[in-house]
Amino acid sequence: MTPRRVNTESWPVRLLLCVLALGFLFFFLGLPLLSVFVEAFKQGFGPYFEALCDADTRSAITLTLVIAVMVLPLNILFGLSAAWAIARFDFRGKSLLITLIDLPFAVSPVVAGLLFILIFGRQGFLGDWLGAHDIKIIFALPGMVLATMFVTVPYIARELIPLMQAQGRDEEEAAVSLGASGLQMFWRVTLPNIKWGLLYGVILANARAMGEFGAVSVVSGHIRGMTNTLPLHVEILYNEYNSVGAFAAASVLALLALVTLVAKTIVEWRMAREIAMLSADLSIENPAVAAKS
Amino acid sequence: MSIEVKNISKRFGNFVALDDVSLEIPTGELVALLGPSGCGKTTLLRIIAGMESASAGTVMFHGEEATNVPTRERQVGFVFQHYALFRHMSVFENVAFGLRVKPRGERPSEKQIRERVMHLLSLVQLEWLADRYPSQLSGGQRQRIALARALAVEPKVLLLDEPFGALDTQVRKELRRWLRHLHDEMHIASVFVTHDQEEALEVADRVVVMNKGHIEQIGSPDEVYSAPATPFVYRFLGNVNVFRSRVHGTWAEIDRAPEPGSKDEALAFVRPHDIDIQREASADALAARIVHIQAIGPQVRVEVEHQGEIFEVDLTRERHEQLALAEGETVWLRPRALRVFQGEQLVDAQTFDLGAGI
Repeated sequence: MTPRRVNTESWPVRLLLCVLALGFLFFFLGLPLLSVFVEAFKQGFGPYFEALCDADTRSAITLTLVIAVMVLPLNILFGLSAAWAIARFDFRGKSLLITLIDLPFAVSPVVAGLLFILIFGRQGFLGDWLGAHDIKIIFALPGMVLATMFVTVPYIARELIPLMQAQGRDEEEAAVSLGASGLQMFWRVTLPNIKWGLLYGVILANARAMGEFGAVSVVSGHIRGMTNTLPLHVEILYNEYNSVGAFAAASVLALLALVTLVAKTIVEWRMAREIAMLSADLSIENPAVAAKS
Repeated sequence: MSIEVKNISKRFGNFVALDDVSLEIPTGELVALLGPSGCGKTTLLRIIAGMESASAGTVMFHGEEATNVPTRERQVGFVFQHYALFRHMSVFENVAFGLRVKPRGERPSEKQIRERVMHLLSLVQLEWLADRYPSQLSGGQRQRIALARALAVEPKVLLLDEPFGALDTQVRKELRRWLRHLHDEMHIASVFVTHDQEEALEVADRVVVMNKGHIEQIGSPDEVYSAPATPFVYRFLGNVNVFRSRVHGTWAEIDRAPEPGSKDEALAFVRPHDIDIQREASADALAARIVHIQAIGPQVRVEVEHQGEIFEVDLTRERHEQLALAEGETVWLRPRALRVFQGEQLVDAQTFDLGAGI
């Protein structure tokens, strides 16, 4: 018999809360997601794949992937170094760094895009110099990479900082006392301990990088087949009343979201196990654990 | 290999963690750094390991300066309070780690690694756990694996930071004995940090008592217990009764409170088991009233009140039965051994006079 819980809400309250939550989820997430696919397949599979094979759509998909591939390694590098610095050392300006990492969350993406125009645009700080040396940043790939970098920078660092702080320095110091070099310590001890957290951050950053609209829109210039990412392309097609094309492109993004969700869930599950392992009470004798397995 | 620490100081901002500490540890000795938390003992251990840099002073390993040698070249085995086992590696891989990260030229073959690891695991009597992961082990098993891992690289010095601090009493006792045994077989210098006086007195060849960043006393377990060099050591190691007293010449008058601030003011320290209770008054005894009697294990603790202060007397069970004491009655306390301190200074006052007694 399950123990009767006394201090719980009565069943009508529970039912009401469940219906509210699930209803909200259905109307604001399930229904729109469903309608994307319904609209995309409205005229059957043929037109859907035709729309996807359109040269401009394909180049938009390619550009989106290229930007993600360029942005993610830089993000990993920055995320790791920032998390390492914050979790492992004390230095002046540490709290400032922690605050600044969150800045992209607080700033509207459009403002972020405008920032880059102000710096690299023709009338911007570096405009003359860039023009003189024939370097194009705004309305070109570098600008879009920069804008995407800006909006995705917090994800990996924010995932790693609490994880590395919780793990502490002990294992790394143990590795060093056993004769490991800095690189050996990183590959054999640090990285295996944070790999799930890192992957989690990468998944989130990737989803954001591929889906970013505002910041990229400002610096892209919307040149079809050249500087159009998938989200921008969806807008263009929709404004041209090409609803099948727009929703076909949108369905790719929606699919990406679903894949991200699944990947995120798997990684979350692995991370929860890792954290349980980490916080498994090391301080007291636990013969039950020792006897098991 | 011997360790020598010379005039080490360490500051964290304004906080002085270590203040001009010097210490010598010859090969083969097992030394305990004992002190309350925050006394700098762990900092000293970490400086010896090279995990913390000293603000001033030098560390010598076997007569060679090692102050600026990085940890990984110091050949120290370090055992952490919370074991710090690599949690994503099996027990076998944990112990093998130090061998696997050796430079290619010195790295043993896979077969040699296997033999060495299994030998170490049999040394700590845990061969059967080789394929387990740290999270599947009990605390005591983890600590033994951590030791095996530290010993794998054949360290010249073994450093242990509160090695048994997180274990329960039974396991702790067993591991202590086992560490002592292991140390005797290895012929290396070992240093362990502890705040548990019983642990230090039971395991170590020599005890270094620390307080507020400096060393109070270095000595054998017997020396630090029966002849404490400072009032702090007296209070930290075991129970002690403190009587106000005054000193003139080689005489210490117990229980004659001097005017505050006068230069003959002193304190007399007596262990509870160094006091005898008698029924008759005598020149060397103090009158006191029994407040409470309680049997604690092999001893009987008698709490007595003397001039508004409570003192403790530990009697053997035989003595207690002999005396047949009752709460509330007035008896006479006669100290068998005591030491008198003026401030931090030990006063050579062998003869004493219990002033107010007569």
